[in-house]
Amino acid sequence: MPMLDISNLHASVDNGEKPILKGLDLSVPKGEVHAIMGPNGSGKSTLSYVLTGRDGYDVTEGKVSFEGEDIGDLEPEERAARGLYLSFQYPVEIPGVPTLTFIRESLNAQRKARGEEEVSAPDFMRLIREKAAILNVSMDMLKRPVNVGFSGGEKKRMEILQALVLEPRFLILDETDSGLDIDALKVVSDGVNALRSPDRAMLVITHYQRLLDYIAPDKVHVMSAGRIVASGGPELAKELEAEGYDKYVRAA
Amino acid sequence: MGGICMTLPLKLTPAETALLDALEGATGWRAATRKALENRGLPNKRDEAWKWTDLRRLTGNITEAGTIAITGSREPDAKLPITHAPTDMLPRLAGALGGEARIYTLSEGESLSLEVTASVGVGHAIYVVEVPTGVSAQVRERLCVADGGFANIAVLYRIGEGASLDRIVTTGNCPGILAQSGGVDLGEGASLRQTTLTFGGKLVRLETHLAHPGTKADAVMDAVYLLAPNRHADLTTTAILTGPDGTLSQLTKGAVASHGHGVFQGKIHVEREAQRTDARMTHRALLLGDRAEVDAKPELEIYADDVQCAHGNALGAIDETALFYMRQRGLPEAQARAILIRSFLGEPLDRIRDPELRDLLIEDLTKGLEALS
Repeated sequence: MPMLDISNLHASVDNGEKPILKGLDLSVPKGEVHAIMGPNGSGKSTLSYVLTGRDGYDVTEGKVSFEGEDIGDLEPEERAARGLYLSFQYPVEIPGVPTLTFIRESLNAQRKARGEEEVSAPDFMRLIREKAAILNVSMDMLKRPVNVGFSGGEKKRMEILQALVLEPRFLILDETDSGLDIDALKVVSDGVNALRSPDRAMLVITHYQRLLDYIAPDKVHVMSAGRIVASGGPELAKELEAEGYDKYVRAA
Repeated sequence: MGGICMTLPLKLTPAETALLDALEGATGWRAATRKALENRGLPNKRDEAWKWTDLRRLTGNITEAGTIAITGSREPDAKLPITHAPTDMLPRLAGALGGEARIYTLSEGESLSLEVTASVGVGHAIYVVEVPTGVSAQVRERLCVADGGFANIAVLYRIGEGASLDRIVTTGNCPGILAQSGGVDLGEGASLRQTTLTFGGKLVRLETHLAHPGTKADAVMDAVYLLAPNRHADLTTTAILTGPDGTLSQLTKGAVASHGHGVFQGKIHVEREAQRTDARMTHRALLLGDRAEVDAKPELEIYADDVQCAHGNALGAIDETALFYMRQRGLPEAQARAILIRSFLGEPLDRIRDPELRDLLIEDLTKGLEALS
């Protein structure tokens, strides 16, 4: 049984007025990293929001199963507690809320929802120090309000840091490479690779092949007009880089 | 044919009739107050300054006499009869019917706490706080009116030359009707830091009227309101700057649930002599539901030419993107909302100088948010 199983998924925005996903099928087994590549407007970000349950993204047909459970009716926080994590393309600024507080409250909310003990303050500090070191995130940054005044690269590092602390079972990385210079890309990729494990799976959404040089996928899917139109091994990403999306856009 | 001009006699509410009875046989300015009440009634939506807060309508049937208990951290230094008539209707009534004024004269470093608790029925009270020249002190006023009560409270602060006052006004989670009219006379080079936190009531009206002499005097008048359904809070301030080189900063933030009603009226008047005034006024509110109501009227009236004055006013809803982001990290919706509201409303409280007072108010706000969700 695949960890994430999407079958014939149709989804719309604007109260069902605007269909974006039009019969998408995708299976990601435990332990694997899959990439989804596609031109702008093909529905990649919509897929990430539908999977994580954002309001306003309505499933009109089809099904999403996570570890055998139909998650279609679950709230975003319930999906998070089950281990779904979305690294945002544009992480959100939250003035007035220190990053440390935010991460600790998120972790404890998830643990509470799973019936686990909350993490004590000293244990949390040990944990966050250890993970922050991997991503070169300073304590000073962690005391600042969530993402406020951070550069694009800092925001992406913060997203991966939160993943390292929350230890989700399934990661969706939405355009994690956008806005990163090569050094930042390496740091972020190291963080992501540290999360690779036989018990965990990932979906890497990207427009460019570049990120996949650092996070090697097991499979690559091409998305166009709301559907997966081709699937293959890592060589497919190289082909797209060389030849572009034209033939898939036409095929759709 | 010309129009017929006539004044219909006002149909008095039971509350107004009871007030007239209480003033029966009054003399001097008290008699004039009675006459004015008979002619115009209690403040109501036809008065420009009360157009969003209809005290007359909401007090309508409150006729019995109530009591206002003022429990201070110490006794007042004096109790004196009121000899001069205040200008506005409510402080006039408080002066006429509130008995002797309690006078508190603060000493250096003093921290005065006043707990003002009003019962069912109509009550009036008046107190005066004096901060002598050069003295630094704090006052914390906690006001609460019981269900079915109408408390009319007049306050006067006299802040002497070079003196410094931190004033905190909070109204607890109290259901009654409260009108507090506050006058603040600021001395040359004096400093006022005023912070108000209110959760509204059936009606809560908190007025501050600041007489600001310029002359390096510095005033901060900040406020926070958080209103559950069927709660009303009205924060009204006027500031008149009469001399040069004064500063004034006002930051008011509110959050209102459906069927709650917030009002902010702020007026800054800069006279021609008040050159180099620096005055800023900001009001921002979050509407937490479709049926939330907020009315705001920020006004600047400037007669000096070399000034820096600005005002801003913005209403909005909770940032849905931020809410989703927080829920995606596992925070339940109610908790995520509370964190966002708390961070929005916290800004004026973060400006409180005294860390202990600041923590107390932040704790009050946190409790208010828990009660709301």
